[in-house]
Amino acid sequence: MKSFLAGFFAEARILARARAVGLALVALAAAALFALHAGAGRVASQQAVVAAARAEEAQRLDGLKTSLARLESGATQEEPPPYRDPRNAVFMGAGPAARVAALAPQPLALVAVGQSDLLSAVIRVTSGSKDAFLFADEIENPALLSSGATDLAFIVVHVYPLVILALAFNLLAGEREQGTLVMTLAAARRPGAALAGKLAARLVAPIAIMLLATALGIGLFAGWDALASASFLRLVAVILVYGLFWAALAAAVDGLGQSSAFNALTLIGAWVALALLAPAGINSLAAFVYPAPSRIDMTLAARAAATDADKSRDAMLARYVEEHAGQKPAGAREGTLRRLATQEAAFERVEGVIAAHDAALSRQRALVDRLSFLSPTLLAYGALADVAGAGEARYRDFLDRLSAFHLDWRAFFLTRAKAGQAMTAADYDALPRFAETPAPESAVGSALLGMALPTLLLAFLAWRGFRRVARPEPRGAKRPRPR
Amino acid sequence: MSDLALAPAAAPAGAPGRWRIIRAVAAREWLEMRRDRRLVALFAFAALLMLAALGFGAAENARIGREREAAAQADRLLWTGQGAKNPHAAAHFGQYAFKPASPLALADPGVDPYVGTAVWLEAHKQNEAQFRPARDGGTAARLGGLSLAFILQVVAPLVVLLTGFASFSGERESGALRQVLSLGVRPQDLLAGKALALLGAAAALLAPAFLAAAAAVALFADPAKLSLADQYLRLLGLALGYGVYLTGFAFLALGVSALARDSRAALVALLAFWLANAFVAPRLSADVARALAPTPTAQEFRAAVAKDKAKTFGHDETHPAFIAFREETLKKYGVSRVEDLPVSFRGLTLRRDDEAGYAIYDSHFGALQGAFEKQDALRAAGGFLFPLLALQPLSMALAGTDSRAQFDFASAAEAHRRLIQNEVSDNIIHFQRDERYVAGPELWKRIAAFSYAAPGAGVALAGAREAIAGLLGWLALTLLFAVVAVRRLRPI
Repeated sequence: MKSFLAGFFAEARILARARAVGLALVALAAAALFALHAGAGRVASQQAVVAAARAEEAQRLDGLKTSLARLESGATQEEPPPYRDPRNAVFMGAGPAARVAALAPQPLALVAVGQSDLLSAVIRVTSGSKDAFLFADEIENPALLSSGATDLAFIVVHVYPLVILALAFNLLAGEREQGTLVMTLAAARRPGAALAGKLAARLVAPIAIMLLATALGIGLFAGWDALASASFLRLVAVILVYGLFWAALAAAVDGLGQSSAFNALTLIGAWVALALLAPAGINSLAAFVYPAPSRIDMTLAARAAATDADKSRDAMLARYVEEHAGQKPAGAREGTLRRLATQEAAFERVEGVIAAHDAALSRQRALVDRLSFLSPTLLAYGALADVAGAGEARYRDFLDRLSAFHLDWRAFFLTRAKAGQAMTAADYDALPRFAETPAPESAVGSALLGMALPTLLLAFLAWRGFRRVARPEPRGAKRPRPR
Repeated sequence: MSDLALAPAAAPAGAPGRWRIIRAVAAREWLEMRRDRRLVALFAFAALLMLAALGFGAAENARIGREREAAAQADRLLWTGQGAKNPHAAAHFGQYAFKPASPLALADPGVDPYVGTAVWLEAHKQNEAQFRPARDGGTAARLGGLSLAFILQVVAPLVVLLTGFASFSGERESGALRQVLSLGVRPQDLLAGKALALLGAAAALLAPAFLAAAAAVALFADPAKLSLADQYLRLLGLALGYGVYLTGFAFLALGVSALARDSRAALVALLAFWLANAFVAPRLSADVARALAPTPTAQEFRAAVAKDKAKTFGHDETHPAFIAFREETLKKYGVSRVEDLPVSFRGLTLRRDDEAGYAIYDSHFGALQGAFEKQDALRAAGGFLFPLLALQPLSMALAGTDSRAQFDFASAAEAHRRLIQNEVSDNIIHFQRDERYVAGPELWKRIAAFSYAAPGAGVALAGAREAIAGLLGWLALTLLFAVVAVRRLRPI
């Protein structure tokens, strides 16, 4: 332990004097704080969007109730068209009375953008088929969307490993090239422990700085309460294990006994392969093997349903006119029934297409999930999005609850519509609400395991490499020569 | 003594002699590169990656093409098979406009995953394009896919930097630089020779990629639907753009290598710049653009449109604008009752309302696109320092996958919507006599299907002026930097 501590503090003193190291660590902390600050701004914007949607909903429903009261009291004499009549359940449920289903940002939402910039946090649920409301997008410059955001997840998965690699890539190689390795080994009572202490000093600095900056940024921008949450512990675990993976990789490469230049190039190559190419390759491969079916199919199904319902309605009307010569079906009532028939027909078909689409996407994502164990970056990125409540698990949960709410919403309006009942003020007060349940706990266990296993393997390789350097030589053998 | 390397007298052979020296330096550098098995492996790996990326891109493009073609045909059948109905009801049913994939999206998908692929062309309303493919990509997809553009924008500069970082510093460490300079070789000639070799390496990286892309375009693009010459012109522009981009990196590597204390310092500095250019600058510039030129939220945008639309009458016959139009029309035709008009008043109101709506949508969608373009210009402004900020918009513009291309498609779709509205309103004006009026399939068939041809390469280049200026600025800056850096080289 003494040798370990001696090595640790000796290396820490060297690092403290190296200006470039200090600069890199300060830059890392500043980048993390900046990313969290930007994240807090993004969360505030999302909250504003949700609040504005709720305000708009309240205003819209108040307007309908006022119109209804005027119609019921006789203050409005003129009969409104069905699509503007607050008593008409078919038309009101399909738009004007729509409720907002919102996905409020989680306490650690500032950590990662995840899917939150693509999937709207606010959906106006109607009694129509899902194609009419589920795919509304938030406005954003597509070029900015494609660049990605400056979030903590980006700093953690791309920048943080580089700082770790920069500090850890040449402990042995650097000492060997400077000619100090022999002295270090000779001076320590337990050379292996001394080298481990020196390595630990190099690794503790970036990992601790990253964790401290994260804690500070979250405390400052999301509130200190957020630090006491289980999600924060998960975040710390992901950052720690991901950092240890890169540290173990650097130590394993250093333990091969090659030059600093070899280590640097090998590690840069590994970073490019694992952090850039593997995720891109996995995404492309999954999209190639299981291409996402076109959403257009859903729209075409809804349109075909509308055409068929129209034709069937026309045929029915023709029969009616034939059987009731001289009578004409009421125009407004016919419009309402036609709309109801269209909605009913489109709903079933669109649900079928969406289910098939989701099944195809699930196959694609399952392949990505399996292959993501080849890239700790992919694992860490997904885990950070989950911790932020902007990952796939939360959106899946949201969409499942939304589907259940959609059924309730349809049942509420369509039972009244089919019974020919007019909407009343009491009905407006009893409109179903989307229940905002707490988000499911993010599961980062498999990602942690997926990063920890290669970390342990690399740590073992590093240990063997360092032990080879540090163990006392057999009599007559030579220590590794400085290169 | 250092004048030995710099004095003109040290290079007595004149221009032809200098060219021989440059060629000799380039040949030696080239030979060394070819002998370095690690470099050869790196280039081979990069080439394989590019071919794989092109393969994925071509497969994806072909799939998108098939899907959208089939969807367009299916939608056409739905439109023409509507049966007898009032033309305005048909206008409400509408058509869909599907964006055809640009052939060069196989090289640079650009913003295509982040923009809608289909626009519903319905009565009264200009809709936004729907169904961004990225919505279905999951979280992992945000880390990007393997495209030729990604390899050339991010990986290729790294390959150039790794090839060139030790050009001067490595020779200084081995003592070869001192020998060469002592022989009287001018540093500028040394730079020119090394640059020639490095640019040769960059060309070796680019050539197979662009030849394969050209072959893929020839295989997958349909000459009946677009001009292949235009596609090749765009591809040539892309090759030049990427060439300038990588040439700048070659000069940067040489300049830093000449200035750096040792190869390690050169490598660290160049890697730091590469990281800043490829990852930090695009994100930071996006944040700056958002802050300086904010865009409205979807709700704000729709509310602003609705506010203006509330001034038009739609189907509201109690609206003051409706009443005023009725009076104006009766006066124009010299009658006192709508029933006495020689044409359908309903058709006239639909046309008037549509025309009022067109101006409103032009104003709002135009302003939104203007805000996007302002953001894009702000981002491209830093392109001379971080060239990816200039290259990306140029590459997307030439590939036909930038937001201007999307706007052009959306504008064409809107023009088609207006054509539909005008046709059905005219039909109502001239033929509708009562509420029971219906038109049949002959009218639906007469209204043409949407077809779209993207503008030519010239339009794309004109839209990327800032980006081109940024890339040229980057080239000039790095060339100047390299020339200034090598002037400091001394034999001793």
